[in-house]
Amino acid sequence: MQSNSVSKMNNKWIKIFAVILISYTFIGGMWRPLNPGIMEIHPEKTKCGERIEVKVSTYNTHLDKGSNIAYLYIDSTYNIKSIDFKATSNNEAAITFDIPQFLPEKSPFINAGLIIVNPIDGGFARPSSVSIAQDSVNTLKGQEMWKQVKIEKFPDALHKGFPFRLILEETIRNIYYHVPFWMAMIILFSISVFYSIKYLFKPESDDAYHVYAYNRVGLFFGLMGLITGAIWAKNTWGQYWSGDIKQNMTAIALLIYAAYFILWKTFKDEQIQLRVSSAFNIFAFVAMIPLIFVIPRLYDSLHPGNGGNPALGGEDLDNTMRMVFYPAVIGYTLLGLWLANLLYRMNKIENHLKQ
Amino acid sequence: MRKILLLVKKDFYAEWRNEHAISSVLLYVFATVYITYTAFINIPAQTWNVLFWIVYLFVSVNALIRSFDQENSTKALYFYQLAGPTSIFAAKFIFNTVLLWILGLLTLILFSFIAGSPVRDYPLFLLSIFLAGIGFATIFTFISAIGAKTGNSHLLTAILGFPCVVPVLLELLKLSANSIGLLNDTDFGTDILILSAVNAILLSMSFILFPYIWRD
Repeated sequence: MQSNSVSKMNNKWIKIFAVILISYTFIGGMWRPLNPGIMEIHPEKTKCGERIEVKVSTYNTHLDKGSNIAYLYIDSTYNIKSIDFKATSNNEAAITFDIPQFLPEKSPFINAGLIIVNPIDGGFARPSSVSIAQDSVNTLKGQEMWKQVKIEKFPDALHKGFPFRLILEETIRNIYYHVPFWMAMIILFSISVFYSIKYLFKPESDDAYHVYAYNRVGLFFGLMGLITGAIWAKNTWGQYWSGDIKQNMTAIALLIYAAYFILWKTFKDEQIQLRVSSAFNIFAFVAMIPLIFVIPRLYDSLHPGNGGNPALGGEDLDNTMRMVFYPAVIGYTLLGLWLANLLYRMNKIENHLKQ
Repeated sequence: MRKILLLVKKDFYAEWRNEHAISSVLLYVFATVYITYTAFINIPAQTWNVLFWIVYLFVSVNALIRSFDQENSTKALYFYQLAGPTSIFAAKFIFNTVLLWILGLLTLILFSFIAGSPVRDYPLFLLSIFLAGIGFATIFTFISAIGAKTGNSHLLTAILGFPCVVPVLLELLKLSANSIGLLNDTDFGTDILILSAVNAILLSMSFILFPYIWRD
């Protein structure tokens, strides 16, 4: 009696936290704008000793409100300042640079980054945006010419947004709706393995039905993760199915779990059904681990953290994003627990009605 | 240990006496190799690599899918009393592994004989057949035991087994690509290590879980 009331109370809190955290994820993930960033630059090539007018289109900026300064930078010591900055709208500008006669290095060309600074947006940059070529080399003079300007400390931006990444742009928000599905899926499958082991040690049919419920929700979350990932891939990599190793491996992992459900339906004797499918569930989980955690690390992947792409964390998951991301993971997991509980109870009622 | 050897012997005799079973597997090997050859005639090295493992996978499935067919319930109960599930599984596993090694070598020889062989590093390729035999035998012995517990076992065994075999198969493809010279990965030691680790984990899981599947 007492344990029943305890589990009921837990249930209530799971529901409340799931609703709060998921609403927070949706509102918080959509509310905050992106940081300012530079979208396009034209022209992208120039020569030493020329005066160029660079047309820039930016994102989420306020170029026409307040004075702007632009820099072309090679590294922290070598950079030049713009001589004219004409903002045509809040997201477009024409910037004029006098490129010095020589480069500070021996190489025939150099990729310089562009920095724009203004009091509202702070400073924002795009690395290697203009390639500068030189015909004759004079390193000493070049160093002298590029050293004259020192970049001032940027003013703080008035609003702090999510990081701006080229190509990703607004879709960076999908990290709150795509990644937590996987984390929640792994947690749900782990719980189902826990119940399988419990069942094999001490056969109580409730535990085996829990395995079934957790696997169903886990498979659903996996499918949702695949779908949200495919939509994200369409917008960033160009195709829904990009043949990425992680996409392929998770599809196979989900096949293993789909096999569990086929197995579940084939039995006539309930005792054998519960025992054998629990055993297969443990085997499936063990077979899934190399698919998700080992093999993707051996191949190149388009995902962050693989094949030379930056990892989750560091600059891509800054503090503003963590504030939404971690609650999202917890919220999705709680939602999964809630769904699994509902499925389990539905199953129990159905079985009861059959008898 | 003696029980296991006896059971292996019993499996061996049963297979030997049942001529039609072993010859059908051999015919299957020959037919698939020949069909793939006539479809391609000139097989490029990369395709050869993929085809070899696909043919080998299907040959293994066909050879092992019947692992527990003969153990119908009264016989199974008798063996269960006599030897215990762990010995039964160990015997089946050893028999199946040796069978798969032989079939692997046979597939390789037939493939090389009919379609030519691009393999350069034979020791490495034989090592991958060795590891493949262990991995496939583990998975399909375990899964066919599950299949034997359901009515329509053969189709189910294939459905359950194929996704589980993918991690092993991918590592094998990489390893054999190395031995053919498609990949110049000097670090194939890690692949061998990972493959052995996956095999070891799956094998120990099967040993732990088999008793729960086998008892009625």
